[in-house]
Amino acid sequence: MTTEEAIDRINELLDSTDLETVNTSMRIPKALRDAAALAVSELGVAPSATVVTANALRTFLEGTVVLAALDLHFEKYPEARPSLADLAIAAAEIEGSPLAQRPELLRRSAAEIQRRHPQAEPEDVLLWAEAREYGAEEQKGAA
Amino acid sequence: MSRLVLLDNEAVQALRDPAHRKHHQVISYVLDVAKLTARSRTVRIAVPAAVRVEAGWDRTASSWASVNRFRMADVPLDTNHADAAAGIVKRTGVSVADAHLGAVIQAAEPGEVVVLSSDPGDMRKVAEGRRVDIVAL
Repeated sequence: MTTEEAIDRINELLDSTDLETVNTSMRIPKALRDAAALAVSELGVAPSATVVTANALRTFLEGTVVLAALDLHFEKYPEARPSLADLAIAAAEIEGSPLAQRPELLRRSAAEIQRRHPQAEPEDVLLWAEAREYGAEEQKGAA
Repeated sequence: MSRLVLLDNEAVQALRDPAHRKHHQVISYVLDVAKLTARSRTVRIAVPAAVRVEAGWDRTASSWASVNRFRMADVPLDTNHADAAAGIVKRTGVSVADAHLGAVIQAAEPGEVVVLSSDPGDMRKVAEGRRVDIVAL
């Protein structure tokens, strides 16, 4: 099975309307199972621990299958890979952050943080940019 | 608050064509949303059905297979959206696809929607005063 075929099959299964259930012999840490049971019985977060598990698995798979598709895309079209600054600007828009209106600040911040932390994530850039702005305002206030 | 990222026709075209000058901009949103989804954050990315028609996006066509893998949901043009979109067309004179975008924006919670669009003016028009974040392509 190629990666493309695997991705397409996972997507088909995720979109399936088949409600049939199965018992699985999946082994999970006992403490995690007990924590899920307590979250259901005492916090009412979901109708059952099974629902908690299935929902968590679904959202994880829905995100990671797209990430796998994007990896394939970037293998084929390396120039399509967005920069950290592009991702930070998109993250700011998605989060509804006022920093979305300051793309130049985000580009500068992405360049700075990447020099110190090459594995930085878009959220790190937003925090860095906000910290820079806070620092600049404090300095202005002190002057 | 949950967030809904919507694409207009130009954003769909940019996503489909790696040589499009806005491709990396649109793909940034797909990548960020996928990462957030994997971490159980409530953020979705979707295309109104009328936009998909305008863009010529046939999910059964092999030429769209790579875009299908990005798991962008359809927003169906159901009765409520059709009624709202018809009203928007009448009041603003925009295209059916833009009117469907407007109907989705107006049905969402204030500030829930981020729309990627090549025509921010039309998006403001179809929002008819509703709060929406518009990313200009």
